[in-house]
Amino acid sequence: MTSSVSFRGITRRYPGITALDDVSFDIAAGSCHAICGENGAGKSTLGKILAGIEHPDAGSIVLGGEVMTFDGPREALAAGVAIVHQELAFCEHLSIAENLCLSCIPTRWGMVDRAALDREARSLLVKVGATLDPARALGTLSIAEQQLVQIAAAVGCGARVVVFDEPTSSLSEGEAQRLYSLIRELTATGVTVIYVSHRMPEIFLLSDTVTVLRDGRHVATTPTAELDETTVVQQMIGRKLEQYFPAHIGATAGEELLRVEHLSSPGKFSDVSFSLRAGEVLGLAGLTGAGRSEIARAIFGLDAEATGSVLVRGRPVRIGSPRSAMRHGIGLVPEDRKRQGLVLSMLARENTTLTVLESLSRFSFVRRKEERELALDHFERLKVRTGLLESPTTALSGGNQQKLVIAKWLAAKSSILILDEPTRGVDVGAKAELHAWIDKLASEGAAILLISSELPELLSLSTRVQVLRDGRMAGELGRDEANQDSVLRLMAGIA
Amino acid sequence: MSLQSATHSLLRAQSLGLSAVLVILATVLTVVSGSHVDPMTGASVNNFLNAHTLLQMATDASTFAIMAVGATLMIISGGIDLSVGAVYAISGVGMAMVLRALGPMAPVPTVLVGLVTCLAIAGLCGLANGVMTIGLGVHSFIITLGTMWIFRGLAFVASQAESILVPTSLIGAVKASLGLGESLSPVPLLAMLGLTAIGAVFLTRTVMGRHVLAVGGNPEASRFAGLRVDRIRLGVFLWSGLTAGFAAFLGAGYYGSATSSDGTGYELYVIAAAVVGGASLQGGKGSAISSTLGALLIVLIRQAIRTLHLDQNYEWIIIGSAMIIAVVLDQSGSRLLAKRMARAAASPP
Repeated sequence: MTSSVSFRGITRRYPGITALDDVSFDIAAGSCHAICGENGAGKSTLGKILAGIEHPDAGSIVLGGEVMTFDGPREALAAGVAIVHQELAFCEHLSIAENLCLSCIPTRWGMVDRAALDREARSLLVKVGATLDPARALGTLSIAEQQLVQIAAAVGCGARVVVFDEPTSSLSEGEAQRLYSLIRELTATGVTVIYVSHRMPEIFLLSDTVTVLRDGRHVATTPTAELDETTVVQQMIGRKLEQYFPAHIGATAGEELLRVEHLSSPGKFSDVSFSLRAGEVLGLAGLTGAGRSEIARAIFGLDAEATGSVLVRGRPVRIGSPRSAMRHGIGLVPEDRKRQGLVLSMLARENTTLTVLESLSRFSFVRRKEERELALDHFERLKVRTGLLESPTTALSGGNQQKLVIAKWLAAKSSILILDEPTRGVDVGAKAELHAWIDKLASEGAAILLISSELPELLSLSTRVQVLRDGRMAGELGRDEANQDSVLRLMAGIA
Repeated sequence: MSLQSATHSLLRAQSLGLSAVLVILATVLTVVSGSHVDPMTGASVNNFLNAHTLLQMATDASTFAIMAVGATLMIISGGIDLSVGAVYAISGVGMAMVLRALGPMAPVPTVLVGLVTCLAIAGLCGLANGVMTIGLGVHSFIITLGTMWIFRGLAFVASQAESILVPTSLIGAVKASLGLGESLSPVPLLAMLGLTAIGAVFLTRTVMGRHVLAVGGNPEASRFAGLRVDRIRLGVFLWSGLTAGFAAFLGAGYYGSATSSDGTGYELYVIAAAVVGGASLQGGKGSAISSTLGALLIVLIRQAIRTLHLDQNYEWIIIGSAMIIAVVLDQSGSRLLAKRMARAAASPP
């Protein structure tokens, strides 16, 4: 097989860190090549360099036998390299068609030729099997659909190499499945797919070859057939990852902390009931749009239209705002860390104490020593470097940022914790730590409602799994009955 | 550089940089401006560095600086208040009318009634802005653009466009020399320093100040953390109105009268002072001390044009350019520091 792309000694330095250090390997034409590594390993940077978004400080890219230097993504696209991005970059208020043809809008007499625009967009969408109306505003599409538009744009421009940068991080199981088949179709037509990810199952499902990066260095490039998950994880983290069995399993559940009865919200979910005891982790499974996050929001007082009853420690309560939820001991680690979880303009310490600042004050003045001690204490408990206490939240890694959000609710002494996608965008090492934490919290008597799109995570941590389908309870599975197969069947509604 | 010192230096950098610019500008002015002979004492007096000029500048700056403390909080919270100039007018006019209607009183009650009236009117205006912005869900830019005209129109109608004199006891209080030489009045300067200090302590030391920073930085995350976002924002609107009222009280006392055209265009000077002081229009960032320094800088530039005998017709052009330059320099400076801190956070302890 001929190589389509070769990296030769690629080095990229940022102030203070070397993101990529002398990375060299080849990618076979028409293959699906996975690049994996922990967050910060440099895998995304490598993809961005190939797509012309970033420039290497040293080294070169060989594309089809020619040494290329790209000055911006447009030049890369002209050479046949496109990227499907982690953060999708679109003009939300423009239509699909306008977004697809943004760089070359067809005109007639100096005015936009709407008919030609529509035709052009349709032909691009057909190529990726999308049946979207090109006139729809892009902002109204789901993330999966927006991704499809991005792929259509890439393929439509005649890209021969497409970089997928963590494409499934915000997709549901079903949407991800569709993406996988699209990627297989692409490689079948001879397009080289570079798949940047740290999710084991999809890497093994899709790729022909796996390249592992660690701390900016090339560790290995191996045909997927010769690999297993354990080996890849070991290559990624450079050590053995211990498997553990959650300690809270088997411990007897305590008193009932939260009971939800006939909770409904128009258009989102209806007649949802469950109960949650101290020491339990209740997994909430379901496809995107099944209403998992919406239920979390309703319990947390963020859905004014929700009806039904919520009982905390056996007493019916009315929760109309996050503030009252907090007073009842409920904490929510939200799905979108950056938008809902953290105030990024503040320091790490300030985010940690945001929920409890009032109790750390005298006559409205913050008692700074106590604030510091409290934050320090939680940093130590969650194993965040205490030197980061006074650093801007933006300077922290995804894993550490997520720990801040959790620390915020630990500080508030929440006994009922709703965790919505707690390990999204977190690297392998930090993920294992977070899993251990969830387990520890439960075994210390917290009641945890866990929402996760990653089935293995949900299955390994949950005491029970509630499955949602189209906003309704599809069934509950005990720990022994819950497995990938049984949960997926309930999620999708296959008997 | 350790992480902590880096963070502190980011907080200090703004005010330090501005202070440096102020000192340099003042030094240049002192050297260049020359001196004249005081006809009374026969002593040689620097044309810039003399008590009268400095206090006059401080008085000019105090109006903007006091209102800028309110504007800083407003901008930090993610909003903007364009009505402060009009609030200045309506509260000054309202106070003058109330005092005129009450007739002569002893000095202390006059001053107290005046201050309370002024603050009450301004506070109500601020609350009205807040209730409409939050209740109607319209951006504060639009609501306060509307109330800017409404408040000034109310002042115009109520005063029938006449200039209303304030009682001499009020003038006496604001222009009190407090033991300094005759015709020197340090009260506006002291009020500016006091209010700046209050603003700085509020922002850096109190729970409410931290909540304002949080709400401005990310209202959604603040709500998710259980903060009463609407109440906090309403408080900021109130505060913005009150500072305009306080400035109006000092202004009416200093100049001896109030009219409905007072404070025209002040909102822009005030916002300029805040952004020169590093407040971010995106919210979540700003400092009361820096905003006061920003107000001082604007006044100093105006003074420089006079002292250096530059063509006064160019005043606006120079101030406008200086503002843009100051903000651009500040932004590139903080970007540099942010990078340095990110590096410090990434490197092992």
